[in-house]
Amino acid sequence: MTSRMYDVVVIGSGASGGAVAHTLTHAGYKVAVLEKGRLIKREEFTKDELAYCRRDIVTPNLFDEYHVIEEKVEGKWEGTPTYDSGWSFWNGNVVGGSSNFMSGMLHRMHPDDFRLKSKYGEIKGANVVDWPISYDELEPYYLKAEELVGISGKYEKHPFEPPRSTADFTQPPTQENAVVKLLDKSCENLNIKSLVTPRSVLSQDKGDRKACYYSNFCGSYGCSSGAKGSSREALLMPALATGNLTLMSNTYVKSLHTSKKEAVDYAVVVNTLTGKEEHIYANLFVVAAQAHESARLLLNSSNTLHPNGLANSSGELGKNLIFSAGGSGQGELHADDLKEIKFEELMQTGLFVNRSILDWYFVDHWWDGTFKGGSVEFMFEHQNIISRAGKNNEEEGKLVWGTALGEKLTERFMKQKSIRFEIFNDWLPNDNCFVSLDKTHKDKYGMPVGKLRVEAHPQDLKVGKYIAKKCEKVLEEMGAQNVYSSVSSSPPQNLIAGGCRFGDDPKTSVLNKHCQAHEVPNLFVADASFMPTGGSVPYTWTIYANAFRVADHIVKVLKEKQI
Amino acid sequence: MKRRNFLLLGSMLGVSPYLHAKPSSSFERSFKKVERTIAAVQEHMFPAGSKIPSAQSMNTLQFLFDTVNHKSYDKDIRKFVIEGAEELIEREKGLFSSMNTQQKEKALRTYEESNYGSNWLSRIMTLTMEGIFSDPVYGSNKKEAGWKALNAYGGMPRPKTRYIEL
Repeated sequence: MTSRMYDVVVIGSGASGGAVAHTLTHAGYKVAVLEKGRLIKREEFTKDELAYCRRDIVTPNLFDEYHVIEEKVEGKWEGTPTYDSGWSFWNGNVVGGSSNFMSGMLHRMHPDDFRLKSKYGEIKGANVVDWPISYDELEPYYLKAEELVGISGKYEKHPFEPPRSTADFTQPPTQENAVVKLLDKSCENLNIKSLVTPRSVLSQDKGDRKACYYSNFCGSYGCSSGAKGSSREALLMPALATGNLTLMSNTYVKSLHTSKKEAVDYAVVVNTLTGKEEHIYANLFVVAAQAHESARLLLNSSNTLHPNGLANSSGELGKNLIFSAGGSGQGELHADDLKEIKFEELMQTGLFVNRSILDWYFVDHWWDGTFKGGSVEFMFEHQNIISRAGKNNEEEGKLVWGTALGEKLTERFMKQKSIRFEIFNDWLPNDNCFVSLDKTHKDKYGMPVGKLRVEAHPQDLKVGKYIAKKCEKVLEEMGAQNVYSSVSSSPPQNLIAGGCRFGDDPKTSVLNKHCQAHEVPNLFVADASFMPTGGSVPYTWTIYANAFRVADHIVKVLKEKQI
Repeated sequence: MKRRNFLLLGSMLGVSPYLHAKPSSSFERSFKKVERTIAAVQEHMFPAGSKIPSAQSMNTLQFLFDTVNHKSYDKDIRKFVIEGAEELIEREKGLFSSMNTQQKEKALRTYEESNYGSNWLSRIMTLTMEGIFSDPVYGSNKKEAGWKALNAYGGMPRPKTRYIEL
């Protein structure tokens, strides 16, 4: 068995791992990033729908690696392995993680998201707490992420738009489809304010990353110009250029080893290509494997010193896992009754919709009541050809085939275009949403798999449905036909946080305010695991920002030789 | 619903001996026995004279075989593709591929009434659509005929290699 030694080992190369590696390597520290998946370079990515969207080429085969998902069936918890359901909870297991494949619609959390309990009080059945830090402490790092990762946009004043320390974004918004004229007008008619969505896609060149080339296939695909602000493009490549980063792809981390209670000594890793096991030593370890897998790794690192999992004397490890609640809706804009814009403009491919609504982020209404709401994003239906065709081959429960299928598909593709909305609202942390280790199921490396119990709080559905109704009205005002929405308590597997709450009290949290394990000072968790509540926006900008904040603290710890 | 139960629900034949067979060469042998039936189903679903290209002109049977035979393909569904075809052959006493269009329509609509048949037909349609509307590198969307029919084209850069060759 071989071994190596670094200043810092980072486990996971997604948004948070990249942010930590970028900061530390630029500060002169020798860092190893351990990534289970392989490296796909910019020039290797293609828009192959079959490969990237319909096969598991960037995620593990579910028969090799999987989760067990526990849902309540007829009053009893029933666990189903994901190889059996096909419901994968993997998200881009390649260098750069799922940030390679995001759509990049990002928002900062609102200052009141950091003090949800103080603002709204207890909610029965939900474990809502205030964060140990305020928005002001994170703001400089939101800005750092905006500038370094490259988030384009246009600031507009709005009561629920968080304050910012600079006047506007350094990059203007990406180009927009003419449909925004219709959308903006429709919102105006309804007295709703539509805002330009900040997007982690470059509208202008930035170093060797080229501006967006409007491929029409952005979300779910890797970017071939470097415009998308993935961890790989924006952070790991510059980190590699410092000469201080060792990027170990195809490296699966089985556990973290402690020989004394207060410190991790090494990571036990397996090369996924050769099967060779190795110990990677470092002074400090940063776990950034995505929330459910980070908790699993710490649980799998139990030993006599940490019998319930590493850094888990609070018993909170894996608890209060959260997703993003909400749902989506859709309507069809038809050639024959389109308002405001020409059909040819609507059908122009590649350009973004770039519109959000924050009007219902906090609801305070004489009739509806006072409660935390959520945000809304608008976009075209994903332009994937096979999946769009596959969604239009049924009528009244029967498959449509033959010449009728040809008629239906050509009508669907050439005489209309669907516009969608997605709602993001708080997934309230609760006692029935957590990750633990499965007692019987193991992955192909012999490690117990994560078992996720995924119950949502009833309030999440109520809020989602409230916003969905408002959004349906926007689509109707636009003249869309066949408008529908779907809000469910099913968790979106690509938006996961929590499981290692940060807080000031070691009895009720796993991490301190710096995302350092209360009881193991050389162990940090930098991904979304720290979040006690999730806000009502996609997590990615907050993940980037917080990881930059954590990384600055790690530099301080290393400089002052606190460990 | 667990996938295996879902796939097998309502099968008249139940679990065939194929379930216990080894992959690849045995799959090829099993496939040979049902390929005429699968091709006939594809051709009925995607006939000539439609606004989208026909299964026959796009060589969709080869695409289906290459896809399902590949090691990355879900092993449960690989079995299901064969078993569903065997079931159809059994139901129609081996005559399906030689039936006329009306008879085929009746046979498939009757098959569709069972959950099992409906799932299998849906799977064959998906595997055929994947061929016709995927990148031409996969061999089935010949000269982009599938994309041209819908005026919808894949993005750039296009794949130079099929994922099954990587």
